[in-house]
Amino acid sequence: MDGDEMINFSRVSLLYPTSTKTILEDLSFEIAEGEMVLVIGSTGTGKSSLLRLINGLVPHHTGGILAGDITVDGISTQLVRPGELAHLVGIVGQNPSQGFVTDIVEEELAFGMEALNIAPEVMRKRVEEILDLLALSHLRNRAISTLSGGEQQRVAIGSALVMNPKVLVLDEPTSALDPIAAEEVLSILHRLVHDLSLTIVIAEHRLERVIGFADRIIHIAGDGSAEINLPEEILKRSEIAPPIVHLARALGLSDVGLSVRDVRRMTEDIRNSGRDIEIEKIKPGAITVNAQSLSLSYAGKKALNGVTTQIYSGEIVALMGRNGAGKSSLLTTLVGVNKLSTGTSEICGVKSEDLKGKIRREAVGFIPQEPSDLLYGQSVQGECQQADKDSQSSSGSTFALLQRIVPSINPQTHPRDLSEGQRLALALAIVLSAQPKVLILDEPTRGLDYQSKALLVGLLKNFAKELNRSVLIATHDVELVAELCDRVIFLAEGEIVADGPTLEILLSSPAFAPQVAKVMAPRKWLTVSDVLRAVAE
Amino acid sequence: MKSLHPLTWWIWSLLVICAVISANSSWLAGISIAGAAILVWRFAADAPWAHSFWFSLKLGAFILIIRTLVGILIGVPIPGTKLFELSILPLPSWLAGIRIGGVVTQERLLSSIHEGLIIVAVISLFGAAVSLTSPHKLLRVTPIVIYEFGVATVIATSALPNLVQSISRIRRARLLRGDEKPSWRSIALPLLEDSLSRSLELAAAMDSRGYGISSKRSRYRPIPWRRPDSAIVLAATLFFAITWTVMK
Repeated sequence: MDGDEMINFSRVSLLYPTSTKTILEDLSFEIAEGEMVLVIGSTGTGKSSLLRLINGLVPHHTGGILAGDITVDGISTQLVRPGELAHLVGIVGQNPSQGFVTDIVEEELAFGMEALNIAPEVMRKRVEEILDLLALSHLRNRAISTLSGGEQQRVAIGSALVMNPKVLVLDEPTSALDPIAAEEVLSILHRLVHDLSLTIVIAEHRLERVIGFADRIIHIAGDGSAEINLPEEILKRSEIAPPIVHLARALGLSDVGLSVRDVRRMTEDIRNSGRDIEIEKIKPGAITVNAQSLSLSYAGKKALNGVTTQIYSGEIVALMGRNGAGKSSLLTTLVGVNKLSTGTSEICGVKSEDLKGKIRREAVGFIPQEPSDLLYGQSVQGECQQADKDSQSSSGSTFALLQRIVPSINPQTHPRDLSEGQRLALALAIVLSAQPKVLILDEPTRGLDYQSKALLVGLLKNFAKELNRSVLIATHDVELVAELCDRVIFLAEGEIVADGPTLEILLSSPAFAPQVAKVMAPRKWLTVSDVLRAVAE
Repeated sequence: MKSLHPLTWWIWSLLVICAVISANSSWLAGISIAGAAILVWRFAADAPWAHSFWFSLKLGAFILIIRTLVGILIGVPIPGTKLFELSILPLPSWLAGIRIGGVVTQERLLSSIHEGLIIVAVISLFGAAVSLTSPHKLLRVTPIVIYEFGVATVIATSALPNLVQSISRIRRARLLRGDEKPSWRSIALPLLEDSLSRSLELAAAMDSRGYGISSKRSRYRPIPWRRPDSAIVLAATLFFAITWTVMK
């Protein structure tokens, strides 16, 4: 074995017994100590499976047939239980709140060490170190459930790191985080790689966030094959690529740059020569959503504080803000499921609280953070038939709509077995079958790959512009906002702090600026297509 | 109030359950339910699992109603004051001894309610223990030797509170689909799926963090057994002892 080799996959194939598809086939690669490796691939291609192979959760915990051999620091994962690798591999899941085993930050950090019977003095020292390293000291006695998403993610990383692992595995660690919190978490990881020579394997859909930190990329194709190579090499050809790579391709640059700095150097002449582009002014239609001084408190804490805003038909509005700023509270208030302390909210002239049954379905469609909450049928077809019945539309129309969004869907599939993107599409089709005047979505792109995201953008644009409806979308995804939205409302501590055209709001804060805008600053181009238009005109 | 030992309320609830069962008195059952309600209202932390008690009360009330109805309809007639009479359902001769319908006496009604109340008391006392103890703390004192039991305890005790949380989330989503009176089935299916996946996730997290690997566990912070713990357990023991001797 090579001296500094940490993870070794040799001819690994993985198959789940209930599925006919091979997840991974004859995969071999090595990851050296102190390397940060990014795993990319469309949803449902087996990224999570690959990550969980590293500490043996697959197949020990999930079942499945594994061929070949995987060693971590010379230990074969086939021969030991996942717990026996706990001191070697730390794993942080997509949803840290589901993996917490205790209530208090300090106890959570100590849990793993307690399980391994480490002496109390050693534990105390390590817990202190981790609290300092991750800047968690001031939170040590807090209940985990009261922490923000970013803080929870840091606790989850801390409780893995406290075991002094040599490998840290993270599954979409920033998918639930706002851009600032995501940056915080990623820069900590970057520091760990450089200071402690930790080996990190990370899966992430939003490449724009992580690409600058990755040493190598594993690209899972979805047909069982996978490629491991340098980021430049993979991104030259891959469909999955961050906006700056698309920019480089669209402009025909010889090299793909991975950082804003690289691409800025290559595009100086474009910044100088491109012309200002006109932003299409949308003429405001009728008021569809009317919120007047909404205030709302939960358990003594103000979630919304005097929010007043209007949304017009034909408009796509983004609702942004940090974790816990009150975005979800505002959305659920607008659709009338929260009791307001003061203020009124109306949708299409009907008070939100009075929306019922058919009137509700025709006024407003709501896609919650977990689209699966809306689904209870036994099959895709069953769901669609139920939606047809609810909206009294002709039989088969919901399914026809669904097929326009995702053509390859099998009507007999159970909704649970759909991929993340397909499930969102199904929920959308159901909600849209009633032809609501307003469509509201809460974090729809969480866990979506670029392909599904592009599909969503097309669908929503079509819905808002062709049918002259309103779309309100709460999201952390600045790239989505840049592509899709006309207007951005920015919330902080339950108050609207900014409200204006997307261009203005996104460019006013560096943390919320999309990648292309950073490359092209001070020119006001947000997306690849903006730049192309500027160059072409 | 300083936090109590995680086992305190569990021991307390077990002892009170024993007392209620051994006393077999609906009065005592009623008093225990009321007592548990006061304790939960007064002492339960503002945590997701704290709602479990109120959920268990609702469940208990449901069981009480069913139990009473079944008790009235089916069973051996108890002579006494006649309240009203139901027509007797004719049954085939090979079902001799079983009667559906007939005279409903005050005694028969009361005995059904009495038995129902005892069941409600047992369920709600269990709910009170869940409400008053953090499931995570409970895990830390569970001996590691019973690994499977430890995992099962955590999952079971966190499943009830998670269930309560998921129900309200799914209900709200159903409401948003314009479905004011969602059918039981349409809530149950996503609910089951949700709790199952959460439980699996938790078990995987525990597994990958080394739970159950070492036969001994160290304690980051000792969980002391303090005087209030002894006082609560002692009070419950006395309660049990008194009912036991009085009923004899």
